[in-house]
Amino acid sequence: MFDPIPPDVRHRLKGLRLSARRASGASGIGLHASRSRGAGLEFAQYRAYEPGDELRQIDWKLYGRSDKFFVRESERESPLAVWIIVDASASMGQSDAVRAAYSRLDAARAMAACIGELALRQGDRFGLISLSDTGIRVADPATGLRQRDRLRLELYGLKAAGEFPAANTLAPVWERIRAQDLVIVLSDGFDEACIALMERLSSAGREVLFIQTLTAEERDFPFDGGYRFEDPESRAELLGDGKALRTDFLRKFAAARQALEARLTASGIRHTHYWLDEAVDAPLARLFGGGA
Amino acid sequence: MPGLLFPLGLAALTAVILPLVIHLMRRDEARPVMFAALRWLQAKPKPRQRIQFSEWPLLLMRLVLLILLALFLARPVLNSVVDRTPYVAVMPGLDPKTIGSDNVRLHWLAPDFPSTDSPAPKAPADFTSLIRHLDADLPKGVKLTIVVPETPQGADAERPILSREVDWRVMPGAMPAPQPVAARPLALSMRAATDQPGARYFRAAAAAWEGNATTGTLTDPLPPKDTVLVWLNSGPLPDAVTGWIKTGGTIIVSKDVQTPKSNAQTVLWRDDVGGPLIDSASLGKGRWLRFTRPLIPAEMPELLEPDFPDQLKALLTTPPAPSRVAARDYAPLTGRPAFAQAAIDLQPWLAVLVALVFGLERWLATSSRRRAAP
Repeated sequence: MFDPIPPDVRHRLKGLRLSARRASGASGIGLHASRSRGAGLEFAQYRAYEPGDELRQIDWKLYGRSDKFFVRESERESPLAVWIIVDASASMGQSDAVRAAYSRLDAARAMAACIGELALRQGDRFGLISLSDTGIRVADPATGLRQRDRLRLELYGLKAAGEFPAANTLAPVWERIRAQDLVIVLSDGFDEACIALMERLSSAGREVLFIQTLTAEERDFPFDGGYRFEDPESRAELLGDGKALRTDFLRKFAAARQALEARLTASGIRHTHYWLDEAVDAPLARLFGGGA
Repeated sequence: MPGLLFPLGLAALTAVILPLVIHLMRRDEARPVMFAALRWLQAKPKPRQRIQFSEWPLLLMRLVLLILLALFLARPVLNSVVDRTPYVAVMPGLDPKTIGSDNVRLHWLAPDFPSTDSPAPKAPADFTSLIRHLDADLPKGVKLTIVVPETPQGADAERPILSREVDWRVMPGAMPAPQPVAARPLALSMRAATDQPGARYFRAAAAAWEGNATTGTLTDPLPPKDTVLVWLNSGPLPDAVTGWIKTGGTIIVSKDVQTPKSNAQTVLWRDDVGGPLIDSASLGKGRWLRFTRPLIPAEMPELLEPDFPDQLKALLTTPPAPSRVAARDYAPLTGRPAFAQAAIDLQPWLAVLVALVFGLERWLATSSRRRAAP
């Protein structure tokens, strides 16, 4: 069975809890702090009154009609929907030379599965959106083991190809993600469209979290000798000597990351990074560990 | 002492340029790498250009391989270390202690040249051949002393010609002469057709030798091998007679007898003006002698000459070669070119080494640790 979560990471997940800052619990009973009281709003069934039920749960209108006590039950609704947005553009297929079989997308798969596991454990609904200009796939949020299997199936079929979709094709994202939902974006953050999407989501009242998935080569730039650097999305190429390029690249890349972080912070997007040589749960611990 | 038999093969060393060039060119060929953060890479106008070889161990291995191959073509040999101690060969029968000079190698002049520490072997049957053998065996420049008695036994007909000056030391004494062999008179057995003349001359010759001569018809059983068969007839020899010759018999045939063909046919006896009288060839273990003229005095006056029996006897028997000589007159001469000493051929070992290095090179070139294989 496809299980992208490494065993040791699964063990450490026990100490984590997904927490949303903005979650108001307005839509039901759940783990998250709520302003509204009472049962859920979605009607499920009537059942006969049993001693011990709260009197205010008795449906008085039905009593008026039938002269019997009935309790109106509503479906228990999770107060929080967790959206996992996975960037499936070609740049996510990049991996380190030392561990060529583990690409950014593999890491994103593992993190998405971890988030799904956490959401499943605390009863939150979770859904998945994968973004690529070859197709946007959406798995609507739900909870339960079935949803977990669906998530795994979606993750299993992911392929890193194409570019980040254009803004006008992102309608499904806007249609599905409701206000107050928790959105966790897994991407390398190299696409301006991706950043713009997050900013818009955040300003539209969604709580957006961003895990920037970066390779260790981008951090260390360990190239020595002549290389032909190739951008998988734009197919641009650059010939260069690794040692000669290193200092300049590291400086520019760090500056770019700082600028991005500043931008994200300004938009109220909680963010962290993930290096491909780290454990998969490390960014989750950074994001959610403090509150647990 | 290593040497090269074909030093021109070293010209193949120029091929070492090839791997150097390959490894320089491969450096320019950049390895492709996927790199999404390309926009933060600033293209340098030109990477630092300096002579730098990629894949050092592989390059080294390839250079070694080519050098070994060039050496292989140059046919290396290893000359054995020569022992330059003066060599003294003593004829068996003499006392080696009387030679008594220090720092020499004392050996018997006998087959395999045993050291004089061992008891004296039997005297050699042909000591001249041993001297030539010794001269060929010893490397150039080694001083050779040969100690012989005044009258050695077993000499060749020719004075030995060697490649070096030999200290020819003659000691008093003589080697025992061989026992004289009592020569048995030649016996003739004649098979003559009635119309063939000449049988009387053979009978006369046999009488002159004081030998036995029997006469029979062509169909009589053949005599033993030590008897010379005289076949006076025409036409081919019967198979029985041919078989008899092949097993070691000697036959004299008249002119009209067809003898088996032979490539090595020689004329044994010529008349005073050089015309052939008898030609001969060997057949199997035996031989045949054929008169080239009819056996009548008008055609061949030699039949009536008084030395005819002696001439015939000389053709049929070989006297023992003289083998006794005065050592003083038998001192070896110089003039033969020196023999080259056999050297150990290193080519097979080099071939094994080349195969090993080639295997190593292939392993280095194809092992999976390398990402981009040049």
